Amino acid sequence: MTEIVFAAGLGDNIVGVTSYCDYPEEALSKPKIGGMSNPSLEAVVLLKPDIVIMTTNGNSKEFEMRLRAMKIKTYVFESRTIVQLPDGIRLLGEAIDEQERFDLLASDIENRLNELRARKQATSKKVLFMIWPEPLMVAGPGTAIDDAIDLLGAINIAEDTNIQYPKYSIEEIVRRSPDIIFIGKATGMDMQGTSSGLLSRLSYLPAVKNNKVYFVSDNLYRLGPRVIPGIEELAEYLEGSEDSMVRGENNSLLKK
Amino acid sequence: MKLKLICIAIVALMIFIVTLFIGPRLISPFGMTGIEKQILFSIRLPRVIISVLMGMALGASGAVLQGILRNPLADPYILGISSGAALVAAAGIITGVSFFGVFTIPVLAFTGALITGIFVGAMGWKRGGFWPDRLLLAGVGLGFLFSALLMLIMSLSSNEGLKRATLWIFGDLSIADWSLIPYGFIFIVVGLGISMFRSKALNSLILGDDLSHSLGFSPKKERFILFISVGLMTAASVSLGGMIGFIGLLVPHIGRFMIGSDSRILIPVSALGGGVLLCIADLIGKSVLSPMELPAGIITAILGAPYFLYILRKKDVLSF
Amino acid sequence: MNILDFDKVSFSYEKDRSFIRDLSLSMKNREFIGLLGANGSGKSTILKLASGILKSAQGKINLWGKEIDSYGHRDRAKLLSYLPQLLDVSIPFTVKEFVSMGQYPYDAKPELTVEDAIEMVGLTDYTKSFITNLSGGERRRVYIAMTLLQGAGLVLLDEPLANLDIKYQIELLRLLKELREKRDITVLMALHDINIASQFDRLLLIKEGRMLGSGTPHEILTKKMLNNAFDIDIEMQHEETGGIYIRY
Repeated sequence: MTEIVFAAGLGDNIVGVTSYCDYPEEALSKPKIGGMSNPSLEAVVLLKPDIVIMTTNGNSKEFEMRLRAMKIKTYVFESRTIVQLPDGIRLLGEAIDEQERFDLLASDIENRLNELRARKQATSKKVLFMIWPEPLMVAGPGTAIDDAIDLLGAINIAEDTNIQYPKYSIEEIVRRSPDIIFIGKATGMDMQGTSSGLLSRLSYLPAVKNNKVYFVSDNLYRLGPRVIPGIEELAEYLEGSEDSMVRGENNSLLKK
Repeated sequence: MKLKLICIAIVALMIFIVTLFIGPRLISPFGMTGIEKQILFSIRLPRVIISVLMGMALGASGAVLQGILRNPLADPYILGISSGAALVAAAGIITGVSFFGVFTIPVLAFTGALITGIFVGAMGWKRGGFWPDRLLLAGVGLGFLFSALLMLIMSLSSNEGLKRATLWIFGDLSIADWSLIPYGFIFIVVGLGISMFRSKALNSLILGDDLSHSLGFSPKKERFILFISVGLMTAASVSLGGMIGFIGLLVPHIGRFMIGSDSRILIPVSALGGGVLLCIADLIGKSVLSPMELPAGIITAILGAPYFLYILRKKDVLSF
Repeated sequence: MNILDFDKVSFSYEKDRSFIRDLSLSMKNREFIGLLGANGSGKSTILKLASGILKSAQGKINLWGKEIDSYGHRDRAKLLSYLPQLLDVSIPFTVKEFVSMGQYPYDAKPELTVEDAIEMVGLTDYTKSFITNLSGGERRRVYIAMTLLQGAGLVLLDEPLANLDIKYQIELLRLLKELREKRDITVLMALHDINIASQFDRLLLIKEGRMLGSGTPHEILTKKMLNNAFDIDIEMQHEETGGIYIRY
């Protein structure tokens, strides 16, 4: 939410954020009102906001009810997929009465999405997106990551589970043999270090043998404006895997 | 008696082999494809071996502890060792350190277990030996403390870290790797060996300190040695795959029901029983929501708790 | 040679107060001796000192002529066995399992078998029963069987007859005396029941950690000695046929 509002140019109007809101940098200096699942009602009330923006994914319905009981205006952002994102942004703009800015943002995102959709060069590539190696947790259905993979025309091999971030069977991965493996960043972690164990155990897996394991950012972890660069990142790798790519410093990809 | 033991051992071995091939998807031992061989050898086999080792450690530790503490409700985790291990391991998982590579979490868990074991031992020590009541109180007290600290850490961490730590704590056997096995094997086999070697002494301890002394043992010395063996096995078990409950508590009960309370047979039977139970629990966890995995610890809790309540209703459980 | 010797033994549970003071006693082979005294007079302590569970602060304790500390645990266990006053009832072993623990001090199998020992105490029918299902008297007989298997020459019993029905008291006493004949054992038993005290070869009268006297029941169970030892005021009647009674 915070990212969307900042992206719409209204960063200065934000009076409070959760402790998880760490992007953009300016968000870090905003007053904190608690966590995602356990925000402080008191802190919110003290800031005397005109409107409180929440999501359905991580905030509690109970908190929303308590806010309404205190006659504080709230808006619940309901979009859950990338496809729903632009419209969701528009509705948010309507609720805050800043239609123009948010429409602009929404259209911008929409256009970029369409562009990316059109590229479609990653047809039917089998993809696995790891959130964490040990224990193995992957991105399943209902995540922005899954949407991104879908949008690019590839296949998420973990899409048949029922939950968003399941603990997955290593054996299944071997059977399903993904063509590409993405490993997402976790804040402040050395992902290459933590993944080395699992990757060396799976050294016989085609994706590992052919060096098709890529460490990517956490842009797709939140449904916000950063999904665009997130999708672009995946697209680069998915397309680039046709040619030979060279890994530069900080793991950036350089075309030969 | 020996005959019964051999039969049980053979059945256990067969069960281990069967679980190796069954889940989560059946691999037929005849005509395996290249991929299946790969899966079997590098994924399933180490996992089954670790399940067996952990199960044996927990089952045997339960039998020994119930004897030392003369309490049928004793469980390896009652001494707080596993809480300490879980605390340090969770901290490691959440902060994502990896200075030992694949050994990082196990080493952290083991260190946590050892430190806690030493603390509990020190608090349970008086006048030259361990006193069962003091050990119990110290263990339970420390267990509470560490659980509280653990909850504190978890409540301060991000959602991702929280989930990872929770999965580990509930017994995550998916980290099973060949490189861990030698170390786990050594500690567990040594611990098992020590406890089986001192099983006559353990029998005498069950009679009480005075009778134990009368039969030619030094109760304090024996308790100390057996405590060490339990500590080693429990620490190794928790470092291999987190906390898996109910095995240490229930397997000795089942064992006693089958072959009586003589520790010389009960300890190996409890070990085998623990191995079997954990293999089966892991099989269920891998298969029931495939390809998603449930930690084995959740399965043992779901199966174990009702069974525990059931035997609690029967007359002679509380009086040993 | 004496089986057991206490030479000016002192012991205390707390630092400054001494509990057992300057106690000396000796036992010969096959004696059936009663340690008589009020509760808290030191009987249990003396037995624990004799068994090696407690160590004397001063004085020497000798078993078969050698200092008790010079024996290793297992060797000592082959020589003496000790039955404490309170036996935990919740022990999950069968009679056979319990009795066979008597073999623990040994590496090789002794000539007496578990079944023989169980038979000697008359509990063959209960071989496979759990200890928890037996009566108090039966449980003590199981212990005796274990002692037999242990081959202990010296048997120390702390109030084994307490809380038993008279039937079992008689049974146990008869059994002990019979075994004393057949198996050459020496028995030192703590008790506070004056009536039973007349059954012993010799009595050691204890009061407040000191020995008031040592002698035959006729010598010890006198008005003077008992009134002193137990802080009571009674008359004793000694019959020629051997009976000794309290006259209330």
